[in-house]
Amino acid sequence: MSSSLILRSSLPRSVQRAARTPAAFQAVRHQSDVYVPGGPVYRGTVNDPTTYPEPNRSHGGYHWAFERILSAGLVPLTAASFATSGTNYPILDGILGVTLVMHSHIGFDALIVDYVHKRKFPKLSPLLSWTLRASTVGVLVGVYQFNTNDVGLTELIARTWTA
Amino acid sequence: MQSVARRLSSTASRRGFATTSAAFQAAPLEKPVLNKTFKIYRWNPDEPAKKPELQSYTIDLNQTGPMILDALIKIKNEMDPTLTFRRSCREGICGSCAMNIEGRNTLACLCRIDRNPAKESKIYPLPHMYIVKDLVPDLTYFYKQYKSIEPYLQNDNPPPQGEFLQSPEDRKKLDGMYECILCACCSTSCPSYWWNQDEYLGPATLMQAYRWLADSRDAAGAKRREKLQNEMSVFRCHTIFNCSRTCPKGLNPAAAIAKIKLELSAE
Repeated sequence: MSSSLILRSSLPRSVQRAARTPAAFQAVRHQSDVYVPGGPVYRGTVNDPTTYPEPNRSHGGYHWAFERILSAGLVPLTAASFATSGTNYPILDGILGVTLVMHSHIGFDALIVDYVHKRKFPKLSPLLSWTLRASTVGVLVGVYQFNTNDVGLTELIARTWTA
Repeated sequence: MQSVARRLSSTASRRGFATTSAAFQAAPLEKPVLNKTFKIYRWNPDEPAKKPELQSYTIDLNQTGPMILDALIKIKNEMDPTLTFRRSCREGICGSCAMNIEGRNTLACLCRIDRNPAKESKIYPLPHMYIVKDLVPDLTYFYKQYKSIEPYLQNDNPPPQGEFLQSPEDRKKLDGMYECILCACCSTSCPSYWWNQDEYLGPATLMQAYRWLADSRDAAGAKRREKLQNEMSVFRCHTIFNCSRTCPKGLNPAAAIAKIKLELSAE
């Protein structure tokens, strides 16, 4: 008690005021751009509009168009692979393999953006992103090896189907 | 003169309503008691440590109006004045009484009471919002987002005289969008808005964004679209359609978002 009194009288006013400010309030004030679970953090006053991320078409419209064209393209590709034989048409088989992998990559990436976004999980999110990229590259290499040195994707499914 | 007055008063004494004997009056319709229980979400900011709970209220439906809002007002008037909710117009045009009634976001004033007395009606505030008290959600961020799309006509070249004119076909493009009352039912029903509320604009705001993109009188389309060209603002919509399903005004925000996506990717 007495020691705190001595401290209080000897410290400059401004330091005392800073010490009295609640820690939570300081956190909100100084890191207003950081996502804080458990409470709305308004940037600016309640009358200011919200802000937007930097415009980036490769993350916006182009990404969406590419994704949709890829998905739509997979339908005739799958039908064509079903109708033909994978061993006779290795190019078609390869295109199907690459398209499938890209399609899954975009799907998993959407999961990360939706549920494990960088602003909420600054460490886990990049880790997952790079794990996904590494796996995609790994699977692409695997598909290439499988299609050049082995029976290929379509043939594998056909054989498993009849096995 | 005096005789007329006397005659009038004697008529009144013979024929006045107050003196009609009970035997000559129609008996008031006796309605049976139809008790129904409402379970309503309660949380009081004055006791922040206390967990939110469902409080039960039983009222006689035959002494209540037909809508959920009538029941809420009756409960507040007659049983528990601490029950807190927003309401204003009681006819579905102000959007104040948006809440989650029996698992569906809707306006309490447009939602009929299910008259099955065996079933309890559960009433919650709009889901995934910060709660001010009981059924009152904090819509500050929602309004901030609405403000961010600049929901007003922008055109630096007004016609030399008179007003901006619009063909009937162009006017028709705004039908189904201008009717939105910003009750936030659709946005708060959207899972994408639940997870990414701080970055994703949500169906209500996006439909208003498209309302100004589709307006033939507005000249700021390119600027408006440029703002939306990012990963979060629009493209977190995964066409779940909860928004169109829940809209108490019967509008279709999902269609507006689909058109925004098409415009953004065709640019």
